[in-house]
Amino acid sequence: MRYRETGELHLDFHGATSATIDYLVERYGEAALHEIFFNVGQKVYKSIHEKLQRGDISGLVEHWQYFFEREKGVFKITKTADGVILKVSECPAVRQLLKLGLKPSPHFCKQTSLVNEAMCEHTPFEAKTEITGCGKCRQTIKKR
Amino acid sequence: MIPSDHFVRFYNEVFKFLDKQGNGALQEYYSVISHHQERHCLELFKTKGLQGMYDYWEHIRIEENCDMTLDLQPDCLTITMNKCPSLSKAMDNDAGLCLKYCEHCPGWVVPLLKKAGYECQYNIIDRQVPRCHMRIYPAQNANPDRKK
Repeated sequence: MRYRETGELHLDFHGATSATIDYLVERYGEAALHEIFFNVGQKVYKSIHEKLQRGDISGLVEHWQYFFEREKGVFKITKTADGVILKVSECPAVRQLLKLGLKPSPHFCKQTSLVNEAMCEHTPFEAKTEITGCGKCRQTIKKR
Repeated sequence: MIPSDHFVRFYNEVFKFLDKQGNGALQEYYSVISHHQERHCLELFKTKGLQGMYDYWEHIRIEENCDMTLDLQPDCLTITMNKCPSLSKAMDNDAGLCLKYCEHCPGWVVPLLKKAGYECQYNIIDRQVPRCHMRIYPAQNANPDRKK
């Protein structure tokens, strides 16, 4: 896996992400989120994106498993015949915002949906992110 | 979810985007961060002064895994970042470094310290080397070197 951090977590960064998202949308519109999160999905996560281009979901699955475990999220990853489903029952990022007394940005989950879309663009896969509640979602990656 | 471990790499992309907008977009954003940070720091810095700043950055040192030295003297706090985890991550990044990455730090710190009644000499040293140095002192001691 390209990035595998260890040591202390600074979970308050989720608050900074939410505030940054709000600022970008207010000042530059939603297109700014699209541009930035697509760069994150395809350039920062270049290794995952390239594996997906080769039809290999293992990099994305390993990434999800490692970081949701590290942040103590409640989640389940299910491999399917044509992809994978990540069901999040308690998102660590939303949990931290609520702990800080912050209201998540209405665009907060776009970090997930747009990064997933970006990672899957120009690959055999498509991404679908369904928000099923506060801090809950289903992320489906499947063959087109 | 972008993991909190990867916030820095997201931030790096935000800085690239803002830099591309021009017209002081980055500086405007630093002001917003500084204002946001006031909620966490301003009262602490005003009421506890250099000790409050020491406590804040000591907490950051631990939580953000910083190789950082803090030297608190009665009239001055010196912070030496030996290896900045933030710039290190922004550099260890397939998307490449925004060469203005370091500037967000003095961008929020200096105005906030000024509001608290303190001056700060901030030396970034090199934008591609994860080291920096800052010296904070009460505003009335505007140049502590001269007093020695």
